[in-house]
Amino acid sequence: MLEQILTMGFFTAFFSAMVRMAVPLIYAGLGEMFAEKAGILNIGMEGVMLSGAFCSFAGAMFSGSLMIGLLCGILGGIAVGMIHAVLSIKLAQNQSVSGIAINMFVLGVTSFFSRILKEGKSYQQLTTFSTIKIPGLRSIPLIGDALFNQDIFTYFLYVLIIVMTVFYAKTAKGLAFQAVGEHPRAADAAGIPVHKYQYIAMLVNGILGGIGGAYLVLVQLGVFTENMISGRGYIALAAVILGRYTPVGTFGAALIFGGANALQIRLQAVGVPLPAQALAMLPYIITLIALLGSIGRSNEPESLSKPYIRGSR
Amino acid sequence: MTGKKQKIVQAVVIALITIIAGTGLIVMSNANPMDAYTNFFRGIFGNLNGFCEVFVKATPLIFTGLGCAVAFRTGFFNIGAEGQFYMGALTSAMVALGLPGVPGILRIILALVIGFLAGGVWALIAAIFKAKFGISEIIVTIMLNYIAINLIGLAVRTFLMDPAGSVPQSAKIDESALLAQILPPTRLHVGFIIALVAAAGVWYLLEKTTLGYEIKVVGFNKRAAACNGISVMKNIVISAFLSGGLAGLAGVVEVLAIQKKLLEGISSNCGYTAVLIALMAGNHPVGVVVASIAMAAMQVGANTMQRQLGVPSAIVDILVGLVVLLILAKGLMSRKKVKKAA
Repeated sequence: MLEQILTMGFFTAFFSAMVRMAVPLIYAGLGEMFAEKAGILNIGMEGVMLSGAFCSFAGAMFSGSLMIGLLCGILGGIAVGMIHAVLSIKLAQNQSVSGIAINMFVLGVTSFFSRILKEGKSYQQLTTFSTIKIPGLRSIPLIGDALFNQDIFTYFLYVLIIVMTVFYAKTAKGLAFQAVGEHPRAADAAGIPVHKYQYIAMLVNGILGGIGGAYLVLVQLGVFTENMISGRGYIALAAVILGRYTPVGTFGAALIFGGANALQIRLQAVGVPLPAQALAMLPYIITLIALLGSIGRSNEPESLSKPYIRGSR
Repeated sequence: MTGKKQKIVQAVVIALITIIAGTGLIVMSNANPMDAYTNFFRGIFGNLNGFCEVFVKATPLIFTGLGCAVAFRTGFFNIGAEGQFYMGALTSAMVALGLPGVPGILRIILALVIGFLAGGVWALIAAIFKAKFGISEIIVTIMLNYIAINLIGLAVRTFLMDPAGSVPQSAKIDESALLAQILPPTRLHVGFIIALVAAAGVWYLLEKTTLGYEIKVVGFNKRAAACNGISVMKNIVISAFLSGGLAGLAGVVEVLAIQKKLLEGISSNCGYTAVLIALMAGNHPVGVVVASIAMAAMQVGANTMQRQLGVPSAIVDILVGLVVLLILAKGLMSRKKVKKAA
């Protein structure tokens, strides 16, 4: 049994699966991180992703073009993100209630219209985005396949993570976005338009969450099924915390979540009778322990999920 | 315009938008709205079975909704009713299946007590994280939900798996340890009565006892509470424990009365629906009962529409989500009016 596991082949396949599982979580996680750093907690990320997945499927099916599908997925994500933005920024409502209501609403809407869309039609499967091999790099043993034999979404992530890291660490705008989440009153006094920045943050949240959902349809499955996000939006919330609110950390945390999932699939493939749930549970426990470990030096934005009302005390 | 009048206007507007949206969705799924509404109400009131099914479906919603309401009163945002439900379900199945020698009625009582404790402890973890370390309960309860869901998955594949089967579910619980039916052959069971008793108990606790008063004060203003010698931490912990316990009871009742065994996915998201129910009910126990029954009635009616006319029953999720979003968005209405008046 052990010889079967400790082979190059096993690990190569495992790393590939890990990255594939993690990509939608990374997109959603980065989107969520961007919103949370600006003080908006979006529990409705599940709904954002679901909307992205459904709209990308509908768009690609009607137009026959994957790019238009992707665009629709992004717009679908933005639409849901904006509902949350208006409720939590303009109307200063409880962000958790809004998020949960959004999740239920979007689950209903997407299930309803996917039934209507598929009624009387034969089973529709899209041709998915193909992989682009990067010559040279992809021949690196173990991780070459995982990192450099992927689709355009994965490569874009590398760029995105670098851009976001530089944005937060080196630019005034990046600092301003964090100030909005840490101390909106001070940010306001310093002349930063708090609400405008929060709307922009939710726009980014919608775009990235939408891409995360669209990825599942346009790259992995080629089809939309009811409730297909099945908790990934909530996992993205965990990835942000485990990643300590940094882009690279979120990336790493999503890989851990993806890895737990991939490991269990690979182990089953070689016949290790370990119930999937034992491994699936681990990342959540790790996140809780990580939360305890961050006591006293929490990375959580100071004003997360507290609405900022100008002029109130 | 007075505040009360405005509230009524808002409620009417929300109801109208919801009805229009519902009718639009029915038309979109190629059904005649009159037919659809007839079927909807026939599903609920057409026969005893359907009518009782409303109360069957309302039962877990009442328990979890009460749980959320109790927690929200102190400002403890418990999104973990889902996980607490499952901890109650898991422990009750363990009690009902693990003590074959013990008389049924004793096992039922034990399952209710232990299920309550298990759900309570599950919420308590989040409460301690919050009260002691200041960690957001929202995130912790979500994590605990997934741990509980996976624990169930693990249990029904290992130590609780039915030895006679190959499906991931527990063995059937024997007749003596099941909650009695009230009106056989309908599925209405004693659990509904327990839920009503729980609602009355929560009402009494919140409105007539010192503890309930303290819980409310902590919810309104933590600083004022602390200045008046009310322990914020103690009240958060107590309300969280009660909240989790109530959600746990939902799991116990679902296992001992409806499923009659443990399997995955039995909560069907009622832990999240409960958050919305508590919100619609204004965290009031009577409101929770009414909202749960209304929600269950919509589900029963929509199921009939789906069977008879092919209108997807997901319409319920859409409309309930819409109602809550509209309640949250009603500020948009009043703000305009304020401007006009000025």
